[in-house]
Amino acid sequence: MAESEVTMRYEEGGNVHLDFHGAANTTIDFIVERFGVAAMDEIFRKVGRDVYASIRSDLVAGDTRQLVRHWRHFFDREGGDYDIAIGDDQIVLTVRRCPAWHHVKALTGSVSPHFCDQTTVTNASMAEGSPYAIDTEITGEGSCRQVIRRRA
Amino acid sequence: MIPSDHFTRFYNEVFKFLESQGEEALEAYWLAISKNQERHILELIETQGLEGMYEYWSHIKIEENCDMDLDFNEDRLELRMNVCPSLSKVMDNDAEPMERYCDHCAGWIGPIMDKTGYHMVYDVIDRKKPQCVTRIFKDPAKARAAEKDAKLLMGWPGHKVG
Repeated sequence: MAESEVTMRYEEGGNVHLDFHGAANTTIDFIVERFGVAAMDEIFRKVGRDVYASIRSDLVAGDTRQLVRHWRHFFDREGGDYDIAIGDDQIVLTVRRCPAWHHVKALTGSVSPHFCDQTTVTNASMAEGSPYAIDTEITGEGSCRQVIRRRA
Repeated sequence: MIPSDHFTRFYNEVFKFLESQGEEALEAYWLAISKNQERHILELIETQGLEGMYEYWSHIKIEENCDMDLDFNEDRLELRMNVCPSLSKVMDNDAEPMERYCDHCAGWIGPIMDKTGYHMVYDVIDRKKPQCVTRIFKDPAKARAAEKDAKLLMGWPGHKVG
């Protein structure tokens, strides 16, 4: 079955409200300032584990297709500049222009230094207990490389 | 990136964490979000009053895919949410919804109304149903009268009810 035929647990349509990324940035600053980075990371871990339980369950079963479809669907909806390379050993999402990061930058002039933790920590949490690791490398302002590969 | 479409499910996890830290933490967060939202709505209210609010929520209705009726006259603005997309997503969720999820709306809007001299009556009706009615008045006496019809009246930091 092709990736495009896989059901996504949350298949959103309609209009997109990018200003939510501004509220996410405010939230990250608030939690980190009052409760520390560990508390923020625990919330992101819960997002990966509980909100994205369906993607995680697929990964645990050895199936990466829902996550890849999720990436395509939401980066397309938000107008991101990205590509996904699917190889034999790894799947690489290269984000050249992250719509979330750039929207916050345009809104507020500054982005939380922990803004991209939402990606790094949520990715790692989704992959927990699965045969895969998902590593996120921040390659610049509003750009990153996310790699799914089988654990050694 | 947590997609903007999934922000409300992230928000829900934040509320659960803050609730575990106590009411003060939750209220401080709503005030931080309220401050964040000022950049989108404050100038509209300060320059155009109820009409500015109508403009803001007309835009939100489209962008957030709300099934909502807006009714504006010179006395008040009414937002009748028939299907709230925010609570709907939180309920359509593999993670547990926070029981007081709806409180955040009054939590950020209320302080802006206090700051700008308007009076909000926010009837959540039922926290488990994605519908509510918010009325915003310039005249405090009209707001107090409208409160009597509310099924589940919501307060906010600095404005407790019940």
